[in-house]
Amino acid sequence: MTWTNSPFRSLDARRLLSLVLIGAFVWSLSSVDWRGGIVHTGGGDALKDFPLALFPPELSPGFLKLGLIASWQTVVHAVAGITLAIIIGLPLGIIASGSLGKPGRVRMLVAAVMRFILAFMRSIHELIWAVLFVAAFGLSSLAAVLAIAIPYAGILGRIYSELLNDVSEGPLDGLRSAGASPAGVLIYGRMPMVLTDLLSYGFYRFECAIRAAAIMSFVGIRGLGFEIQLSLHDLKFAEVWTLLLFLFGLVLLVDYWSTSVRRSLNS
Amino acid sequence: MTTDNSKLVEATRGLRGITFPRVSLYGFLVLSVVSWAYIIFGVDSGLGDLFTGRSWSNAGHFFSQLLGLEGGLTGGGRPAFFDLGRWGETGKLAYKTLMMSVLAIGLAGFGVLVTFLPAARNVSNGELGGSPSLALGVLYHVLRLFFAFTRAVPELIWAMVIVFFLSPGILPGAIALGLHNYGIVGKLSAEVVENMDPGPARALRSAGAGNIQMLAYGIIPQAMPHFLTYLLYRWEVVIRTTVVVGFVSAGGLGQEFRLNLSFFQYTDVFLIILWYLILVLAVDLLSAFLRRMVLVR
Repeated sequence: MTWTNSPFRSLDARRLLSLVLIGAFVWSLSSVDWRGGIVHTGGGDALKDFPLALFPPELSPGFLKLGLIASWQTVVHAVAGITLAIIIGLPLGIIASGSLGKPGRVRMLVAAVMRFILAFMRSIHELIWAVLFVAAFGLSSLAAVLAIAIPYAGILGRIYSELLNDVSEGPLDGLRSAGASPAGVLIYGRMPMVLTDLLSYGFYRFECAIRAAAIMSFVGIRGLGFEIQLSLHDLKFAEVWTLLLFLFGLVLLVDYWSTSVRRSLNS
Repeated sequence: MTTDNSKLVEATRGLRGITFPRVSLYGFLVLSVVSWAYIIFGVDSGLGDLFTGRSWSNAGHFFSQLLGLEGGLTGGGRPAFFDLGRWGETGKLAYKTLMMSVLAIGLAGFGVLVTFLPAARNVSNGELGGSPSLALGVLYHVLRLFFAFTRAVPELIWAMVIVFFLSPGILPGAIALGLHNYGIVGKLSAEVVENMDPGPARALRSAGAGNIQMLAYGIIPQAMPHFLTYLLYRWEVVIRTTVVVGFVSAGGLGQEFRLNLSFFQYTDVFLIILWYLILVLAVDLLSAFLRRMVLVR
């Protein structure tokens, strides 16, 4: 029996990992409280009524109009959030990439601190930012937009700094030997090389921002999530389905737009 | 005829600068100007409040209460985050939250394992074995639609719906998180199979392998590392979302966060945020470690 056929070889890292993951899953099942019953009183009826309410969803013209308005409100918050995220994320990403200023210890330190700040911004979920801002400033659209913009700027800043760092050094050396300053290298070298990637990643995040805007309903911002919450409270499941389908359509539309843009940018 | 043709060339020359990405970019810029106008001039914009001293001093009070610098203290009159007992109590909730995230990823992973094969085009049309049939074709489209729908609805909205059926606890939250991530990982895993190198599968087929053998030796070994990497990557996202889902599904840190906020126990809120950051950091590190394990052969 050769070594490669030995049964111990089958316990390689990947299989070990699969075992660990399955074990963790089984362990997590044990922390669910099964004694109280999984379905609560009355939940059984709702569980039956909810899927049936899809046939048909609420399609009265008045409600469809409400769905359209709610979709528009969601889009508005998503667009405002992502534009602010790009405006904040791009300069922070440039600082975090360490491509500005004189090479040296100070620049490395500033870049490291900025990477930490970006990590902190994206560690906290957009809705927690929203809850904190609403508690601090009161309920307003701007609080919701800012709440979307901060974690998204954290993500965009990180990705942007990585993109700026990953450009090929050849053209940059050309600029440097022609006497360009670090700012010149950034503006005429790094930025043009990654511009399409920056746009393409921004468009991708726009799709996620739609979902983020929809859940801002939780702090009282109007939009699809808000209407879904209202219809759920009134037990009008047919209306919930209509609104879910509106959200689905909206995400599909933005997904299609952003994929087409990215495809034609990258080709 | 030739003149017509040259006119056409002339006409398209004017259009040459207009590319789809460029039109999209301008379209997006217009959309963002309209959106910002809508928000700033909207009824509840809050822009006016930003320039009043009162709202800034309110915000200042809130954040200093969060840090325990003024008021908002419970019990012993010291901030909750200096109280070892409170650290322990909140730690138990953090553990519950962690379990919720593991359960969610487990459920999503299990669902994906069962359904990702028929959702890959090259499996459903028989390219990688099996035989194409109408049922498989329909199943492919149904699964892809289901992936897209579960993905489009955010976790929090799934949780709002699911608490209508299930008893509060970590299970409804885990199912809500699981559903959304099922759609994401399902799509990515099906695409891995679609973009797979068909060589090994074809070689196996020509050597006379059956469907099960094709699966075990031709498809799974190639798809598995990607599948595990996606799951681990999504776990990092899920741990950030568990708290939010806990707002409505009554499990772990999220519920406590909401309660403390409505009772103005701000130092407890801050303690929960600290535990939350610890969880996020721990999961990020663990996931990065495990993902490296996937890559090691």
